[in-house]
Amino acid sequence: MLAVHRPSSAVSDGDSVQIPMMIASFQKRFPSLSRDSTAARFHTHEVGPNQCCSAVIQEISAPISTVWSVVRRFDNPQAYKHFLKSCSVIGGDGDNVGSLRQVHVVSGLPAASSTERLDILDDERHVISFSVVGGDHRLSNYRSVTTLHPSPISGTVVVESYVVDVPPGNTKEETCDFVDVIVRCNLQSLAKIAENTAAESKKKMSL
Amino acid sequence: MADICYEDETSACESRPLWSSRKWRIGVQRFRMSPSEMNPTASTTEEEDKSEGIYNKRNKQEEYDFMNCASSSPSQSSPEEESVSLEDSDVSISDGNSSVNDVAVIPSKKTVKETDLRPRYGVASVCGRRRDMEDAVALHPSFVRKQTEFSRTRWHYFGVYDGHGCSHVAARCKERLHELVQEEALSDKKEEWKKMMERSFTRMDKEVVRWGETVMSANCRCELQTPDCDAVGSTAVVSVITPEKIIVANCGDSRAVLCRNGKAVPLSTDHKPDRPDELDRIQEAGGRVIYWDGARVLGVLAMSRAIGDNYLKPYVTSEPEVTVTDRTEEDEFLILATDGLWDVVTNEAACTMVRMCLNRKSGRGRRRGETQTPGRRSEEEGKEEEEKVVGSRKNGKRGEITDKACTEASVLLTKLALAKHSSDNVSVVVIDLRRRRKRHVA
Repeated sequence: MLAVHRPSSAVSDGDSVQIPMMIASFQKRFPSLSRDSTAARFHTHEVGPNQCCSAVIQEISAPISTVWSVVRRFDNPQAYKHFLKSCSVIGGDGDNVGSLRQVHVVSGLPAASSTERLDILDDERHVISFSVVGGDHRLSNYRSVTTLHPSPISGTVVVESYVVDVPPGNTKEETCDFVDVIVRCNLQSLAKIAENTAAESKKKMSL
Repeated sequence: MADICYEDETSACESRPLWSSRKWRIGVQRFRMSPSEMNPTASTTEEEDKSEGIYNKRNKQEEYDFMNCASSSPSQSSPEEESVSLEDSDVSISDGNSSVNDVAVIPSKKTVKETDLRPRYGVASVCGRRRDMEDAVALHPSFVRKQTEFSRTRWHYFGVYDGHGCSHVAARCKERLHELVQEEALSDKKEEWKKMMERSFTRMDKEVVRWGETVMSANCRCELQTPDCDAVGSTAVVSVITPEKIIVANCGDSRAVLCRNGKAVPLSTDHKPDRPDELDRIQEAGGRVIYWDGARVLGVLAMSRAIGDNYLKPYVTSEPEVTVTDRTEEDEFLILATDGLWDVVTNEAACTMVRMCLNRKSGRGRRRGETQTPGRRSEEEGKEEEEKVVGSRKNGKRGEITDKACTEASVLLTKLALAKHSSDNVSVVVIDLRRRRKRHVA
């Protein structure tokens, strides 16, 4: 079941918002994140007057290296993003900043394709970021940042935050509700894949 | 990768094994019929009827399977097809025995039975402007045979499924939903259609979620990724036709429309998220409807009910709305179609067009044994369209079971939808409901 409820204060209006990391509910659950310089730095977005931003956090019971091996594939996002049907790299090699990819969306969704640029790929800090530069959809000036953090409890914590224009006719809350559904589904399927992969690895090691 | 898989699948579907398989099934049919042939009291007419029913039913679904390559592969379809064939043959033998009793005891019943044995129908599916075909159609005449001491009736099943996100949920509905309805129908003594259909749809919804039992075709990209494909679903509009009633169960935004005395009578209501009662239900469940290229549940899905789509439950439910309509002499035909048609064609326009087709054909007084010309696949130049037509076949010796007029009506509706720039897959089934007396029946 997908909970629609989200801290309303996450929808921000104004400059230089440092989102969800400092919100009380998240701070309580993830005390280490509020002190994590990577999280603070990469999840600070410049938010314009007609934009909104939000973040989704997902715990995954798998080693950070396993999760990262899936997340970092700029050339194969459909491995865990199930709303994507296919992906082709149309600029660069897919493994360096500046690479471009074109993804096609599955049927039934209010989008057909998206052209995206790789902005950050940091294997040491486990940070990947992309921005949407074109395509057939309503999400203009979308920029997303995903970071992984080790967690003593579950193994890995994934944080994905984004900022995007509010399309004409919609409200900020509606826009974040919509994008949060997509991001949350992506991270949930990422969790399943990584946990399955980790479980299989353990089986092999025990043989 | 997905494209390559698709091409391979298409090639496989056109290869010889399917043809060989068909031959084998015909052989099985002959073998099964021999006990009845040894019975001297069996009437010639009865034998012909049974033979036609079996042959055409199997052949029709098989032909559709072949043409619907994108949804299923022959190796995965064949086992199920074979079991269905055997079941049909077994039942037919007992039918033969029973008919002797009927002739002896209640001669007049035979007439009633005959008129409902084989509904005429036609189907057409086109990919349209979308790249993938994600619709599926299921046609199962005589899928339930009800027999009591005093009467014998057959029920007929027609289903149209419009998949989204991928094709495997619709393909699975095509393979299984009629079997679930059949099980519910045979176990339910009271014929409570609403409950029977609701249970069938719920079971179908659970099956598509259960990974272990789902059969995905090779070109279904989900198989390459993970079994937990929550973001795939399908509509389902199903009609069961009995001698007395038309039952429609609908989940999603496909639609069933009856033409009665020249007028369009909708037997289902589309499940759009902004339908007032659906909007209320979604909001009470804690969801919301966002207008994002139209009204969508959470801004994502443009229908409020579907089979599958587990990630959107409970806002998107698989509970069908069921209507039960008494049949009348004024009933002309029933249309089941996906929203690829209904988004661009009104109920009235569809009925008018089908009516012209059926009336034109019936007016010629075509004789039973006359050979039919196969329905032609049409190609519109400059457009990439994949059109699949089943129904019309050269089959003079077998008589008509799938009707050329119904098929042509279906094809015309799909053409009309494309002409009106439908941007979706289009699938149409037309079922002739007019009751006919067969001249050869005393």
